[in-house]
Amino acid sequence: MVRQMTKLRKLRLNRRAITPVLSNLLLTVVAVAAMALATSATYLITTNLGETMSERIVVEDLWFDSSTGYIGVYLRNVGKVAVHVSSVYVNRSSQIFTKPFDLEKGQHRWLNISESWIPNGLYHVDIVTTRGTHVGGYYKAPST
Amino acid sequence: MLEAITKLLRRDKRGVSNVIVVMLSLILIVIIVANVVLLSYQMNQFDWERAQEKIEIVDVQTGNFTFSNEGPSTVHIVSLWIVNSTYHKHYDADLFVNSGENSTYVRTDVALPAQDFLLKVVTEKGNLAVYMKRWG
Repeated sequence: MVRQMTKLRKLRLNRRAITPVLSNLLLTVVAVAAMALATSATYLITTNLGETMSERIVVEDLWFDSSTGYIGVYLRNVGKVAVHVSSVYVNRSSQIFTKPFDLEKGQHRWLNISESWIPNGLYHVDIVTTRGTHVGGYYKAPST
Repeated sequence: MLEAITKLLRRDKRGVSNVIVVMLSLILIVIIVANVVLLSYQMNQFDWERAQEKIEIVDVQTGNFTFSNEGPSTVHIVSLWIVNSTYHKHYDADLFVNSGENSTYVRTDVALPAQDFLLKVVTEKGNLAVYMKRWG
């Protein structure tokens, strides 16, 4: 019994080899954290890239509405991810539009641009999403 | 001699961590590249199928719309537009037209204007077909 007690006391007082254990533990923690970071970064990069590549929207119709004087653009999301329209440009200048404008996969609706137009005018409409997809083109306003 | 070298190599743990790091990095790079290639392939396939679609409007009568699919794959029409100088009217549609077939779509709820108008249809993949209807 006495011998055992002495052994235990010796073990408690013995501080040798603690530093290697601590350093190994710290290294393991650092390695795990680094791998977790790298894996998260990989996931984020591939997800973002995938979403950007999967975005597809089409302009079904563009209406120079004479009753309101505004331009209506009917958009359809034909891609594989939801889209969020961040900016609308008419003849290269930013325009006010119905915000927020989100389209889920397969969704479609009007986007109204508060831009007064003149008959027979030629307009370049450019709709930009948050991921950087552009859709639009040149449209001629009707004569009346 | 050979045995001694093998024993030495087995005991030598230098460079193991480097090998592990390189292997893990390679795995991550392979995952990224594989994902990008897969997504790119999927979207290229989608764009290719979209480019192959060829839908035409053959005839327009009150309540009856005839379409012809000249493309190699089935077309799903999802939208129908009646456009004239005073209004742009949208109708939801749901019609599948098989490859090489003509199909008549009956829609009694679609009111056609008395003046000339433009009929537009939109497919699920985002293609448009346009038909100018002139009465008389």
